[in-house]
Amino acid sequence: MFQLLMKQSGRRSERSAGLSIHGRRCQLVLLALLTYCLGQGLLSTSTAVINPGTSLQSQTAQTSQQSPQPEELRRQIGTIIVTPGSGPSIAVADFQARNSGLDQPIGVFNMVLWDDIRFAGIANLIGKSLYPRTKLADPASLRYEEWGGDPVKADYLAFGSLIDATNAQGFLYDIKTRQAVLTAQLSGNERDMAHQFADQIVKVLTGQDGIAQSKIAYIANREVQVMDYDGSGSRYFTRDNSISLFPGFSPDGKRLAYVSYRSGFPNVVVRGEDGLIIGATRFNATTTSPSIGPDGRIVFSSSKDGSGMDLYLAGEDCSGVRRLTSTRKSVNISPRWNPKTGQEIAFISDRGGSPQIYLIGADGSNERPFLSLGGQMDSPAWSPDGRFIAFTWDGGGAFNVYLADVASGQVLKLTREGRNESPTWSPDSRHLAFQSNRTGRWEVWAMHIDGSEQRQLTRNGGRNPSWGR
Amino acid sequence: MPDKLLRTSLVSGLFIMILLVSACAPPVAKIKVSRTEVKPGDPVTVSWETKNAKKIEVNGESAEKIGAKTVTPKQTTTYEVVARRGRKEARDKASVTVVVVKPPMPTISLKADPSAIDLGRNTVLSWVATNASTVTISGLGEVPASGQREVSPRVSTTYTANAIGEGGNASASARVTVTEPPPPPAPEKPRPNPEPPIADQFRAQVKPVFFDYNKSDILPEGREVLTKIANWLNLERNRGIVFRVEGYCDPRGTSEYNLGLGDRRSRAVKDFLVSLGVDESRVEVVSFGNEKASGTEEGAASAPPSWAFDRRGELVYVRGGERP
Repeated sequence: MFQLLMKQSGRRSERSAGLSIHGRRCQLVLLALLTYCLGQGLLSTSTAVINPGTSLQSQTAQTSQQSPQPEELRRQIGTIIVTPGSGPSIAVADFQARNSGLDQPIGVFNMVLWDDIRFAGIANLIGKSLYPRTKLADPASLRYEEWGGDPVKADYLAFGSLIDATNAQGFLYDIKTRQAVLTAQLSGNERDMAHQFADQIVKVLTGQDGIAQSKIAYIANREVQVMDYDGSGSRYFTRDNSISLFPGFSPDGKRLAYVSYRSGFPNVVVRGEDGLIIGATRFNATTTSPSIGPDGRIVFSSSKDGSGMDLYLAGEDCSGVRRLTSTRKSVNISPRWNPKTGQEIAFISDRGGSPQIYLIGADGSNERPFLSLGGQMDSPAWSPDGRFIAFTWDGGGAFNVYLADVASGQVLKLTREGRNESPTWSPDSRHLAFQSNRTGRWEVWAMHIDGSEQRQLTRNGGRNPSWGR
Repeated sequence: MPDKLLRTSLVSGLFIMILLVSACAPPVAKIKVSRTEVKPGDPVTVSWETKNAKKIEVNGESAEKIGAKTVTPKQTTTYEVVARRGRKEARDKASVTVVVVKPPMPTISLKADPSAIDLGRNTVLSWVATNASTVTISGLGEVPASGQREVSPRVSTTYTANAIGEGGNASASARVTVTEPPPPPAPEKPRPNPEPPIADQFRAQVKPVFFDYNKSDILPEGREVLTKIANWLNLERNRGIVFRVEGYCDPRGTSEYNLGLGDRRSRAVKDFLVSLGVDESRVEVVSFGNEKASGTEEGAASAPPSWAFDRRGELVYVRGGERP
């Protein structure tokens, strides 16, 4: 590793030798700088990431393409997703019914809550087989030693009761300090209540908003559909009776842009969460891959000017279209905003021969390659926290979902079974949804960003997911 | 004279004895606290008094013979004074009990009245929190400890109120179900005008053009096909025909990129026809990417379903070409 650094920085300083008469000192400084960057890359805040024009950033990314060092990336992601032994442990006791006739809702509630906490990845969920036999419905019957001692050894305990089919009371106790850290009055149907309680537990333990109440849009039967983040409750969002593709939620989840062939040509349509149309493009060309930025502006790809597929920016109702790229005959496609800054866009271009990932400023400045792994790359999705770009790549045969650290360019492979494409980020930057054909047809799946906990969300076909709020 | 000497020596002996006795007096120590029970952060005065001591320590720190200091113990603390003189020592203790009053757990309740509304109507959220320093409601931000707010959600929404206090967190949720008006009927597809006979002639003339994997170059066979079509399109009687080139891809690439590749294929067909004299304004292009691909293996272009057939450009009649 160290030799490698020497080599790389040596090469780098040859390039920059003309800049400095102190060639040797420059080399040393660059060596130190590069070492620091590779070591600290992931720790650096997103301000370093968006810093446009720093050749250091893109060079770092390129050097690590030659020699990806995913160990550091794997270690960093290990601090984001709690794996056994790396974080607090939580026990989730089955909720108890206060009244009779609640067998069905309480069964669903307990299953949903369990899946929510398990998929949240914020604590080690202790298996139910270790729990004490005594039923626990309220704090009065909580015996700390049963949960704090062997074999449960829980740091936190969630429990509670269903009062009726639409009301429940939940508690979260810190077993060590023997104090309640959350009491929650829940209302809604059993799935809603479980999701609410799960999100509140996540909030109390991490300070971040949970994702259990978030929605995912996707394509099935040629229409945009929206489902809960765990795959239940899917419903039609469009009924265009045409081909719909590539839905993309705005970062606040209030709007959704997608591609529709309603006009006879693929055009971008933007709708509010109530389904009403906010705006649409009307080009007699191929217009596709809309992505809504944090300020509402839309970036998309279109061949409307005739020379190839280029990137364009438009206002939130698709008006005021402005051209961003101009590369004759190339396909520039699949743009995605950096949702953290709203200033940078990742996209795919085949200007160099095969489709690879590029970056460009929202003002058209600083257009540059980000990651070139050869083969075909597509659908670069920027994480809400700005740290990572997930993408699909056919390196080694089938398309799989990968994760790139924006600051260092380190790359991690996340999927291995079947074809896996179209990654999209959860609002908490800790999960990804994607499409996979591992069951024999395209379905929407979700996983932790370390590739663990892969779970199938749709059962009747699904493609092009977009994770909303 | 001896008398005087005797008296002097007696006096001085007595003096020495007194000195000796007083030098051997045991040390004495006393300590007290101004309050024996306090809450965390309350000040307490610890005072002490010693006699006959050379070295004095209060809780391990050396101190004056008589002194006092003010402390704010965080937990129950015992203060001890030790007065030493040589090997002799005296001790005294005094305790301050710190009583921790556990801050009460916050509570909150939230309800929406009515809990079901039609789209466009309002509902009133009302909430009451106790023992909370901060109360927030999702979608409304920070709110007073109790109050009411009229909301008009456009979709069914779960409002969650969070109360944060010194004693912990409490939350309550209320769901507002929004009933949407029935979806407007799907736009009726404009019934296409009955196609003129020229459309059939067009279809009889045109043939698809096939491409290599991930390529959009017109192959030699394609050039032949397109040259024949261009000649027919350039006939005087056919110059009014407007048509569309549709670009298609096989499903091996990603669908997002393939929409661009299909566009480039349809454009390559258009450019080739234009180079043969077909007016540019007569040609629309549209890509379907791999949205209509049906192949599962390479196969032959002439025998769909196959990938070879999936990779094509197709010409579709749009309008015009009828003689007046």
